[in-house]
Amino acid sequence: MHEVLDQEPQVRRRSHQRGRIVAYVTSPVVVLLVFFIGPMAVLGYMSFLKFGIAGVGGYTGFENYHDVLTDTTFWQVLWTTFTIATVAMIVMLVFALPLASVLAFKIKRFEIQLLLLLVLADQLNPLIRVYAWRILLGKNGIINSALEFLGLINQPIASLLFSKTAVVIVTSAEYLAIATIPIYAALKAVDPSMLEAANDLGAGMFTRYRKILIPLAAPGIFVALILVYIPLFTEFLTPALVGGTSGFMIGNYIEQQILKTGNWGVGSAMSFLLLIFSVVFVGIMYRLGRIGRLQTATTTST
Amino acid sequence: MTAEAVDVERIADRRVLVSARRREIAGTIVRGAFLVFIGAVLYGPLLILVIFSFNDSIIIALPLEGFTTKWYQQVFSDPLVVEALKNSIIIALVVTPVCIVLGTLAAVGISRFRYILRAPVAGLVGAPLVVPWLLIGVGGLLFFSRLHVPLSLNTIGVMQVVSIFPLVTAIVAARLVRFDTSLEEAARDLGATQWEVLRYIVLPLIAPALAASAIFAFSWSFNNFTISYFTAGFQSTFPIWVFSTLNHAKNVPIVNAISTLVAAVQVVILYAAWRLSRHWQARTGDNALTPEMVI
Repeated sequence: MHEVLDQEPQVRRRSHQRGRIVAYVTSPVVVLLVFFIGPMAVLGYMSFLKFGIAGVGGYTGFENYHDVLTDTTFWQVLWTTFTIATVAMIVMLVFALPLASVLAFKIKRFEIQLLLLLVLADQLNPLIRVYAWRILLGKNGIINSALEFLGLINQPIASLLFSKTAVVIVTSAEYLAIATIPIYAALKAVDPSMLEAANDLGAGMFTRYRKILIPLAAPGIFVALILVYIPLFTEFLTPALVGGTSGFMIGNYIEQQILKTGNWGVGSAMSFLLLIFSVVFVGIMYRLGRIGRLQTATTTST
Repeated sequence: MTAEAVDVERIADRRVLVSARRREIAGTIVRGAFLVFIGAVLYGPLLILVIFSFNDSIIIALPLEGFTTKWYQQVFSDPLVVEALKNSIIIALVVTPVCIVLGTLAAVGISRFRYILRAPVAGLVGAPLVVPWLLIGVGGLLFFSRLHVPLSLNTIGVMQVVSIFPLVTAIVAARLVRFDTSLEEAARDLGATQWEVLRYIVLPLIAPALAASAIFAFSWSFNNFTISYFTAGFQSTFPIWVFSTLNHAKNVPIVNAISTLVAAVQVVILYAAWRLSRHWQARTGDNALTPEMVI
């Protein structure tokens, strides 16, 4: 009896709900379909077209991909990009882990203030930040002129700027805040008594990091990898300003193909390969992060 | 127990205490030095930039040559700088509200209902967060040229919206999932329309997240370089102007001055936002804004 009575409003409610969902979701979805999926589709489409000095030359199949994959410069640039991004990521994690743990466990009074300083560093204009590093590292820059002024060196160290090292230093500083925050958030969820117990039982700093802090921070580390490694890999601004020719990364190569050479077909093919790489990388990290979270959940519950 | 034994024990105890304290002090010093180092890495270069913006020399090198404000005067007499700044501010002022609206709609649509297409919709909204800005920029350039849309401030703005509103969705959705839907259901059962539910229940709940999103969306838009660089026509924005200036001349003191000004304004805005959030907290007892400010 009741069921029959209840059915009518439920049906009405369901159709109401459908109307509400449509009202909320339509505009964001349409914007993304047109201006996000659209450009990505055009990118994919153009990677199969031939472009020359005369303009568009029609469909060429996988020729652009063939050109990219047999181009030795591409592989060199890719290797440079991989080494810079990976080294910078490792450097960042080496500093982000202790920083996050100090912020999460050791600072009591100024925790929020220090976090805000971290966020602020990330919110300041990246161009200004990269440029500031350039003043510091340049051949006539502050570090060199200070060393010369103090009489420690006779000639400026030329390799400070426009090198791989410069790109690693500047990108590490640039992304440090974004790498630290998710690790901090993961550690904040940890019971600090666990670390104290390890400390009381006489675990050294290294053991404490390896056995306790890193496993507990793992979910945050995977988030940091997702947030930082892909932007780092496709970084264009920093190598353009401080990288010179030896710090030339894949982002610069794509920009050169698209904006300078006008080789849109090859540029699109490279971009599309990079897109596939990004999606695969994020997928893997997401999976690993979930496994990591499950493991922490089980180890903390047992 | 003899008196000597008690004494020995007490001394041993004190020794342990003293060594523990010593270790603690050493730890504090190491931590302090570490934090100072991180601070120097994050803010040191900027501080030097500020100092050199007042230095009376066209060459940016030590030793300092004397105090001047002439670079600041030059900033405002350079029409290109003023134009670039104006463009950046206009874009940010348009992009921010659009992103807030789209981002909030998507957040409510994803986190408040259960339906078959929910996962694909969430995936679509999350996708621009995964795709690098470089590719969004390049894709936008090719897309607009394919459709014969001339590049302008509009094309910059559109592509910025695509990359920024999903971030607003993430912030707002994180806030929404902390409240269950019972309030909204109660309001609906009492006969509230969807608009009334949104206006009187949902919006007050997510107000702190919206405030945080507004600040972040503005600075993400203002700071954006990569997407803007590829989708810009002849008009430049502030980051594009800095980039092209640095690529033509090596170190221009005028860049120091304008960078200092922009950084100062950004610091003031974020500080004001933080104070406002503290004020809000004290008034409503809602301590939810701080985490949103941080993430």
